[in-house]
Amino acid sequence: MDKKLSTEDVSKLAKLARLKLTDQEKEKYANELSGILDYVELLSKVDVGDLKPTHQVTGLKNVMREDEIIDYGYDVKSLMNNVKEEKDGYIKVKRMIG
Amino acid sequence: MNEYKLTIGIETHVQLKTKTKLFSGSDNDDRDTLPNTKVNHIDFGMPGALPVLNKKAVDLAMRAAFALNTKPQKYSKFDRKHYFYPDLPMGYQISQFDEPIILGGFVDIYVNNEKKKIGITRAHLEADAGKSVHPENSDYSLVDLNRSGTPLLEIVSEPDMHSSAEARAYAKEIYLLMKFAGVSNANLFYGNMRFDVNVSVSKDDVLGTRAEIKNLNSFRSVEKAVEYEYKRQVELLESGEKIIQETRGWDDSKNITYSMRSKENADDYRYMPEPDVPPIELTDEQISETEKSMPILPFTLRDKLLEKNIDPAIIDVLLESDAEYSLENTKSIINENDARQIANLIVNIEVPLRAKDTEVKISNEDRINAYKNVMLLLDSNKLSSSNAKILIEEILLSDNVADVEKLAEQKGLLQTVNTDDIMKFIAQVVSENPAAVEDIKAGQEKAIGYLVGQVMKLSQGKTNPEVAKQLISDHLKTL
Repeated sequence: MDKKLSTEDVSKLAKLARLKLTDQEKEKYANELSGILDYVELLSKVDVGDLKPTHQVTGLKNVMREDEIIDYGYDVKSLMNNVKEEKDGYIKVKRMIG
Repeated sequence: MNEYKLTIGIETHVQLKTKTKLFSGSDNDDRDTLPNTKVNHIDFGMPGALPVLNKKAVDLAMRAAFALNTKPQKYSKFDRKHYFYPDLPMGYQISQFDEPIILGGFVDIYVNNEKKKIGITRAHLEADAGKSVHPENSDYSLVDLNRSGTPLLEIVSEPDMHSSAEARAYAKEIYLLMKFAGVSNANLFYGNMRFDVNVSVSKDDVLGTRAEIKNLNSFRSVEKAVEYEYKRQVELLESGEKIIQETRGWDDSKNITYSMRSKENADDYRYMPEPDVPPIELTDEQISETEKSMPILPFTLRDKLLEKNIDPAIIDVLLESDAEYSLENTKSIINENDARQIANLIVNIEVPLRAKDTEVKISNEDRINAYKNVMLLLDSNKLSSSNAKILIEEILLSDNVADVEKLAEQKGLLQTVNTDDIMKFIAQVVSENPAAVEDIKAGQEKAIGYLVGQVMKLSQGKTNPEVAKQLISDHLKTL
């Protein structure tokens, strides 16, 4: 059986996810992801007839808060501890545009 | 050569006037603040953080629906729009895909005094991404997440516009609507409104391939970008080349568009229902309450002013000044008999005065009363129209005007209606200008204007010119 995902598909996905993959890795992921897709495809055997799609399973609706500033109880500066590189208070990243 | 037809559709990102973000309780006002200080774990996309919808953002979206001549959808839901970019920490944007809060609607625009209806496809709520800067001569970019999570309403128009003037008029009308309806501060300087303009050209009724010019932040740049794109696309087609569907940027200093990285196709966003945010279900009561609370909107005001025969260009300036300076001129004058004159004074005196950054201290209520009193003085011939302009300026620059007539008197702006005084001036002018008198007697009626001018000069502008003219005319007949 043909693979669900070609290496080109994997290249495109990698590009969307901003991941750099070697040819070897693309081959590997094409196989692995195709396997996952095959498995998930089992679901297509289920007859859903004219059931409406389920977007939420909790049955909740209108979960909202008032428009008030919330003190979350920590120093927001600590969030920057999760950042790989900081410069002048900014998050420093690889250049995005030319 | 057949003419190419230009077709334009516009997506407008409107920043909603909320205190906090769409899904978190951080301060939404990131004007002039240090980077990454108005953030929290939700805006930072920390694992496990739970977004909770801001009720105010939903209320404002409901108001926007009425401003766009429709009603909000009773049911709407959120979806994840996936893309990876350094200014989007979660790796997806929470937006509304197939069931947005607004579907349909329209906006009326005026171009060359003609009304035109522009269809609205949809408008949806979404959280904004962070802001990035790209320092020159460096190999890095810098990200500020203060804007991350800011509530936006993205309004998508139908491709109903066919000229740069229509595109500009549409952008401006959306601005007025959002401002009047209290949906947004609509401060263009702070990027409260951003326009993405889709432009295509075609010789027939089949739409051509479009280019999307992103992130325009002024009415002028919307207009100029459309003009540039039209020219660029027509030139490409004329030289036998094809238009490629792409995203383009706008260079405001060079007035040109430029190619950006090729756009990801819509299905590349891998939309999926947002499991963390339950859907919105509005009740009929909520919807009708919102409708009842809507203020008078620019299209209604415009119609009422047009009924008063006010020039459409004057109306545009008036509505814009209302929006820009948070005034309510238009609303307060629509029922005045002198609406036209007041509108002219506001547009010719007050708007330029405010544009000069002059401090206007008088309260809005006092201002409008002062305008009415100036009209009374004009109507009773106590004030000349040229002195009315000076008086308005005096009023605007003072902090408290209890008695307009008294102020006019103090400033020597009132007309002397005392006939005896005027007769004295006339006698003097007539004796000093025998040549003009002869001209008038010889039938050259125009020369009377010269004598009126002399009387005005002698009386330091305090004579009513109409009265003076009549008196001179009568006086000469007795000679």
